[in-house]
Amino acid sequence: MPKRRKTEEAVDEGNSTPRKTRRTAQNDSPAITPSDRKSILKGTPSRIVNGTSILGPTPKSPRKVLFSTPAEKAEKAEAAGEETPTATRNDRSARRKSARTLQESVVEEGEDEDDVGETALAQAILDEHGDVQEDIQDVVEDIADEIPVAAADTPSERGRGRPKGRTKRERTPSPPPDLPPHELYFFQNRAGANKTSANTLASNVLLNHEDYLSNINSHKDPHEQDIRRLADLHRRAFDQWSFELEEGFNLCLYGYGSKRDLVMDYASHIHHAASKPPQIVVVNGYAPGLTVRDILTTIARVVLPKTTKSPAMPNALLDLILSHLTAHPPRQPINLIIHSLDSPPLRKAPIPALLSRLASHPSINLIATVDTPNFALLWPPALLRQYNWLYHDATTFQPYKAEIDVVEEVSRLLGRAGRRIGGKDGVAFVLRSLPENARNLFRILVVEQLQAMADLAPDATLGGDADDDEDILGVSDDSDAAADTPSRRKPRRGRPAKKATPAKKVVSAPAVVEGIEYRTLYHKAVEEFVCSSELSFRTLLKEFHDHQMVESRKDAMGVERLFIPGMGRDELETLVEELV
Amino acid sequence: MEYEKCYVYEPEDHRPAKRRKVEPQGLHGSWNVRREAYETAWGTQEAQFNEKLGDLNANAIYKLTTFLDEATRDSNPSGIPAAILSTGPEGSSSTGVIDQLSREQNAQKRRVFIRISASTGTNLKALLKAIIQKATSRQDGIDDEDEEVTTQKRGVKLLNYDLQLLADYVSERQLEQVAIAVGDTEAFDSDLLSDLIESLGYWHDRIHIVLLLSVATSASSLQQRLSRAAVTCTKGQLFDVAPSDAQIEGVVETVITDSSITWPGADLMNLVLERQSDYIQSIDGLPLSLKYAHMSHYYANALTVFLIPDIKFADIPSDHFDALRNVDSFRQHCRHLLDNGQGSQVRDLLESNSVLFTLARHKIRELQTRLDGMMPVINLLYQIQGTLQGYSTLPTRYLSKLYKLAMSGRLTSDASLIRSMLLAIRKSQPEIIGFVFLVCSTGFIRDPYMSRFVTVRRDINRLIGQAAEENQELHSADHVQNSTLRTTIVAQKVELSKQKATLSKRDEAYTKLLRQFSDLLEEYFTASLIDPKAFPFHELVVYDLRSPYRETFTPRPRQAIERALAAPHDYLDCDCCAPDGADGNGEATLSASQPATAVLYQLYLESGSLINVSDLRQAFLAVLGDEGRSEDENIALFQRALAELKCLGFVKGTRKRVGHVAKVAWRGL
Repeated sequence: MPKRRKTEEAVDEGNSTPRKTRRTAQNDSPAITPSDRKSILKGTPSRIVNGTSILGPTPKSPRKVLFSTPAEKAEKAEAAGEETPTATRNDRSARRKSARTLQESVVEEGEDEDDVGETALAQAILDEHGDVQEDIQDVVEDIADEIPVAAADTPSERGRGRPKGRTKRERTPSPPPDLPPHELYFFQNRAGANKTSANTLASNVLLNHEDYLSNINSHKDPHEQDIRRLADLHRRAFDQWSFELEEGFNLCLYGYGSKRDLVMDYASHIHHAASKPPQIVVVNGYAPGLTVRDILTTIARVVLPKTTKSPAMPNALLDLILSHLTAHPPRQPINLIIHSLDSPPLRKAPIPALLSRLASHPSINLIATVDTPNFALLWPPALLRQYNWLYHDATTFQPYKAEIDVVEEVSRLLGRAGRRIGGKDGVAFVLRSLPENARNLFRILVVEQLQAMADLAPDATLGGDADDDEDILGVSDDSDAAADTPSRRKPRRGRPAKKATPAKKVVSAPAVVEGIEYRTLYHKAVEEFVCSSELSFRTLLKEFHDHQMVESRKDAMGVERLFIPGMGRDELETLVEELV
Repeated sequence: MEYEKCYVYEPEDHRPAKRRKVEPQGLHGSWNVRREAYETAWGTQEAQFNEKLGDLNANAIYKLTTFLDEATRDSNPSGIPAAILSTGPEGSSSTGVIDQLSREQNAQKRRVFIRISASTGTNLKALLKAIIQKATSRQDGIDDEDEEVTTQKRGVKLLNYDLQLLADYVSERQLEQVAIAVGDTEAFDSDLLSDLIESLGYWHDRIHIVLLLSVATSASSLQQRLSRAAVTCTKGQLFDVAPSDAQIEGVVETVITDSSITWPGADLMNLVLERQSDYIQSIDGLPLSLKYAHMSHYYANALTVFLIPDIKFADIPSDHFDALRNVDSFRQHCRHLLDNGQGSQVRDLLESNSVLFTLARHKIRELQTRLDGMMPVINLLYQIQGTLQGYSTLPTRYLSKLYKLAMSGRLTSDASLIRSMLLAIRKSQPEIIGFVFLVCSTGFIRDPYMSRFVTVRRDINRLIGQAAEENQELHSADHVQNSTLRTTIVAQKVELSKQKATLSKRDEAYTKLLRQFSDLLEEYFTASLIDPKAFPFHELVVYDLRSPYRETFTPRPRQAIERALAAPHDYLDCDCCAPDGADGNGEATLSASQPATAVLYQLYLESGSLINVSDLRQAFLAVLGDEGRSEDENIALFQRALAELKCLGFVKGTRKRVGHVAKVAWRGL
């Protein structure tokens, strides 16, 4: 692509007329490109680029002074861009380089306008200062928007213009071929309109545990045979694995699919192959609540004589195990199998260090499986040295049956409580074991909350606006904050095309009235003869609090409010039905 | 058992009688023999590596030991003696020196050697406690975290991080010194490290403490990080531990000087050294890499049985001969024989195993001898270059690079590298040639050259001796100093003409002898430097496969997973998901037959940074269609796929919009 562009440039260079037009174009609309770029880059909301408003008095940004001689600047830009590119290019960050590449491709696409675009471009690049935090896509689109504007200034001379109907470049999901990795990143990570529909996933669409299990068990994988063949392929390497383990390496199996069955097959293989089966300790790394103590005590059971009193601290226990292994090396090394070594319970700080010390002992053979694609980042060089891994691709395509609690993971992913304490099912379960009064009180609370939601109006539930949701949940996620910026920035930027339409509303909705006032709930409860005194009311509430079914918060006025956390409208509705 | 946390494996089927002791079959049948061969072959090399690595550190260790001993003698020092080891960037991983030192030191009883690292503790209390525990090495009592009080003989109760405990221990055992090695000073919080040093400083009059601080950056940056008080209470001395380049060269030298059975090839060596520098590796990774190369060679190549020095014809199963006939270099050899019209010989080789056996043994031994002969030459080349380095403009060369060049057959006597070296010799001054002779006298081993070399050396030495007697300098006619450039302007053009300075007769003789010498070297190089790939059966002697090495040491897990999900056919090799490869592009496309997670992943790839789960579900169901499955079943698949994507770290929940998930991994990075 760049090659073709170069030849076009060469033609332009040879011919003096286009250059002249370019310059006039610059002079006619002196500060549009630079100041405009500047303002976008700085994120100032005052920004006008529209075919019609150009010739009129442009509302100027205060920074305009900087660009008092834009025409010269443009020339310089050209010169810098084309003749002595090194100086400018050298200090340009990768991001800006990519911006440039993409810009070039865009410009090329709009074949007609490319030398006007060229100027705008070069200027854009030159005018970008170090603090620019701009996305390529923005640049690309902005420039794509500006090109016709500049071109429209000299329609008679150019005799060209943007063909009708080509208002905006279509965004395609597939990247242009052969992009280097960093370009790919920016391509895939481009911000901009992230249009998703307003559809929401009704909670009853997703299956609960029983339905899921019955369906998934009846499901017959059409690839069963292929998966088995893949596993057989891996099985043929068993002897090789044994050899590698005997030579003092440890094995790390990666790849997509649950490797549990494969490794257990291997365990049975080494168990049956030897005349005296070696000791095999299996650790299910994915098991929630797994601690390093569990692992060490299991190993200690195998290694240490029964009479030894094992210390409680993991460090000391490990020292004891290692020194015992050194002093009395077992005839056969102990095989330690760890499933999902990269699972969250095993990632925490001291655990990898302890495990790697364990693995580095010659009497311990470690066979570990890892699932995530970036597991290698878990271990610093010092640990890697101790682990002494050999990596093998063991893609199995088998479902993570034991490793993942599917229903739970999905509902957590969607921010629904699911069956956890506080979730719909969990709440229903707790309520079943509570007395009638408590159930009634909870029903009142649910109905009130539903009422409040309905009052809060359609837009909260319909639009599913971000801020409402955040307020309801009452939590702000730090990691989301970063991802937040593009959408926050966007409306401020205001596409020129959308100028007429009001910028998308991001101002947070009026303070959400959430839950029900403590007093109100008490009175209602008394009215319905749920309780007779505040003491009994509090006792009932205490039960809910204990099960995290209810939370209380002081609102702006300092009034205590009670609400049911983590449940959507439809979940509440079904809950009411169950309660009544 | 899959929901237990950890357990000891018990086979589910209790069939002790049915041992599946599978005898290896086919080409794998010779594995047991090969394994022995591997063990002997690697065993000798490993010993040499270890020795070499030990030697590399010997110097540093000697200096450190002297330092420690001196510190013991200094009974009333003004501060804590501190040895600052600058280890280079891989300091945190290359703890070789400290390892070795602590092994030696702990052997003697008068000194305690303690090693701590940043992970030992995050506060001063924990660190001190760890130090005391390690020093007193109590197996009991360390067990309880909250046991803060330790009873004392004298009835005084002390907290378990009180250095008084250490002081008591030291005086009780009459220890001379407590050496504390801090592994990774950069990883420490600066305040914590300063606090530690300061508090050790207070006790220095009662306990003889020595600090060994490893720094990966520089001593000055360490000084900047420490508080003023900490700096004033230490007395630092800087030690340079062998830099990693030198270590690598040392290991390569072992490969070269060692007369072995197989040699790593150029490509493999390249990979090994690349990994060494790309992933910051400690030096012991290098022998391990070579070990794995040996392992894969002997394990995967059944023909390595032919490498066993004392193998008998009868010991080799016949299928191995068939395999040997398929080796590329053997085929070339046959082609060569046929071209020379020796068809009957080829027939014999193809028909008779014993003839083939004899040839193979002969050729393998020949190549081994030639390679054995080549290694000293490489070393000689390296040495001569090192000698000439200071006097000429030869580029810096590494032994490892020379080795790679030689193994790839590119280091022939007319390689520019050797050319320029010979030229430098021809130009060289008498004193330099003396050094070169010194190097060569150990480097020449093959006889015809040895005797000629001795003659040349004698002649040149005699000339030099004569010249020295008469106080004259010898010059080579080829040296630039001895020719001058004359510029003349003829018809407005500059003409350059070279003029040799007038040389004495002796100079001429010297020049002649130098030329003789360089010719001799050239001849020697030509005769010894071979292209291993030109020999039949070089596949057995030179191991040069990248394949198992690259995947096992530098895996690309992310690509593996992305590939499995984006193009499941690559792994499953099923008929249903084959890409529409008819038009040759083989682009993987979505199809209902693909595994659910793969379908969902490909939909995921097409979406932006926020994904509406409801839409995703609809798209998923649309792709899956109804393959005779109920919708619930499809939804179950959808849920499973989504959960898998989440656990693999491709999506995460977001609070930005209800019912959306955020995309967190991008493909192909």
